[in-house]
Amino acid sequence: MAKFITIGERLSTTAPAVNKAFTERDPEPILARAKQQLDAGAVYLDVNIGPAENDGEDLMKWVVELLQSNFDNVPLALDTSNKKAIEAGISVYNRAKGKPIVNSADAAGRIEYLDLAAANDAICIALCNGEGLAKDNDERMMYCQTLLERGMEHGMDAADIWFDPLFLVVKGMQEKQMEILEAIKMFSDMGLNSTGGLSNNSNGMPKHIRPIMDSAMVAMAMMQGLTSAIVNPNDKRLMETIKSCDVLKNNTLYADSYLEL
Amino acid sequence: MPFNQKPQKFNASINTVEIGCGDKAIKLGGECTFPFYTFDAPMENAPKIGVEVSDLGIASNIPGIQKFYEGASTIGEIAKKAETMEGADFVCLRLEGGDPNGEDKSIDELIEVVKEVAEAVTCPLVVEGCKNVEKDTELLPKVAEVLQGKNALVMSAREENYKAVGAAAGLAYNQKVGAESAVDINLAKQLNVVMTQLGVNGQDIVMNVGSAAVGYGFEYVVSTMDRIKGAALSQNDNMLQMPIITAVADEAWSVKEAMATEEDMPEWGPLEERGISMEVQTAAAVLASGSDAVILKHPQSVATISKMIKELM
Repeated sequence: MAKFITIGERLSTTAPAVNKAFTERDPEPILARAKQQLDAGAVYLDVNIGPAENDGEDLMKWVVELLQSNFDNVPLALDTSNKKAIEAGISVYNRAKGKPIVNSADAAGRIEYLDLAAANDAICIALCNGEGLAKDNDERMMYCQTLLERGMEHGMDAADIWFDPLFLVVKGMQEKQMEILEAIKMFSDMGLNSTGGLSNNSNGMPKHIRPIMDSAMVAMAMMQGLTSAIVNPNDKRLMETIKSCDVLKNNTLYADSYLEL
Repeated sequence: MPFNQKPQKFNASINTVEIGCGDKAIKLGGECTFPFYTFDAPMENAPKIGVEVSDLGIASNIPGIQKFYEGASTIGEIAKKAETMEGADFVCLRLEGGDPNGEDKSIDELIEVVKEVAEAVTCPLVVEGCKNVEKDTELLPKVAEVLQGKNALVMSAREENYKAVGAAAGLAYNQKVGAESAVDINLAKQLNVVMTQLGVNGQDIVMNVGSAAVGYGFEYVVSTMDRIKGAALSQNDNMLQMPIITAVADEAWSVKEAMATEEDMPEWGPLEERGISMEVQTAAAVLASGSDAVILKHPQSVATISKMIKELM
């Protein structure tokens, strides 16, 4: 099995400093955050430019070129509801270190993001949701089928569709957690890749608790077959847990210094 | 249904490490397939064969070896002869006389031997220490120093002395460094990690992951090499993408099948044939398991393995 793929989540308009840097085209804060994430072991970096309705295309191109030219063609996940911006980003994207990821399609209004990914030979995150949250795994797996078929109709390799069960917040939806984990197992049994915004589970918890919950969640999810996650790679406990799980799953060969790699 | 061949493609390859200088320089590694899987992709570089010579001279009781080196008396003459052996790509000088439990030759004396051999041969040179960790820790940095400009492979840095040996050979004197572990896959990886953390370029490291003669725990050698090549290629583990060199001769000629005299074991047949057989079988097996180079002793073994490699390429 391949190593778990981490997608660093810290380049997002939800962070005011990043939002400001995107708006002002100020490279320095973006490069600093990218470097911190890559030094901590992130494989992909997510570039969330928000809806970016006005200058999304220009902004996405600028960020893609900025990051790839500074960090040896680092592979990126292009994260926005502006489809044209994703296409623009891909048009300047260098694939030497991995295909771009389109973040994301769902089984309702955003299903066309799969077509976009297919047309551009990209990976696509496929959120197993319809108009609202899937009410149970029957519904979730129906969305999974819909998304899988849509991607394959457009000529995608199934391995390039990364299914997202949608991690849910424990505070409020505690009884749903095992269901999410079971969905991951079902993806895995179908031989599908999977990912998701893992830290949703610990939303609203005290800051010191979140790394503990996220680590427990990633360990359980990796046991179920999760192949990737969108995470904060600067969460040391989480990254150590992922590396340890990679060893236990025989995804990577153990060496005493494995945490330093 | 027609047969559709699907090549096993990896997005990873073994590092290419060049040893020696000029026309006779050799390249170890570079492959992106399992050993000799030429139906998946061509092997970048053929596996290489080294001929072992020792500072103790031709101590062999093997007629074929004695005959081959006839007329050579100094270590320089022996090494010169060794590089002419049919199928040989490099010479491996073992400084076994340095062993404190053996002849305990001084470092100065051994360095003279290294110089003499380096002057005598034009092919790439691999130098092995005496296997005593303390002595090698002192000896191998001096070997690296005296061979400056030769682009030699210095064997080996081990867990106990990788800092001294790695720093001298890999950093100070621009040689290639052997990283030795004894059939311990986790240590093999760990050594590469700590050596690169020390600053040695991963592209300058050749692994010696240990060996055993066929029949002497050899299945562990096979599984170690298999797992290393698997991780290097299918998991793209860059801490295991160093080519592998295996010192076959020493193991193969030290087991009872290659040592028991014909008086003691008349039913086993001639001693020389048994030794060659052990050496050839071990070498063939480690090459099939992923070794990128083997070190051998007998001219017939070298010729046989060389032919095998040519035919499998």
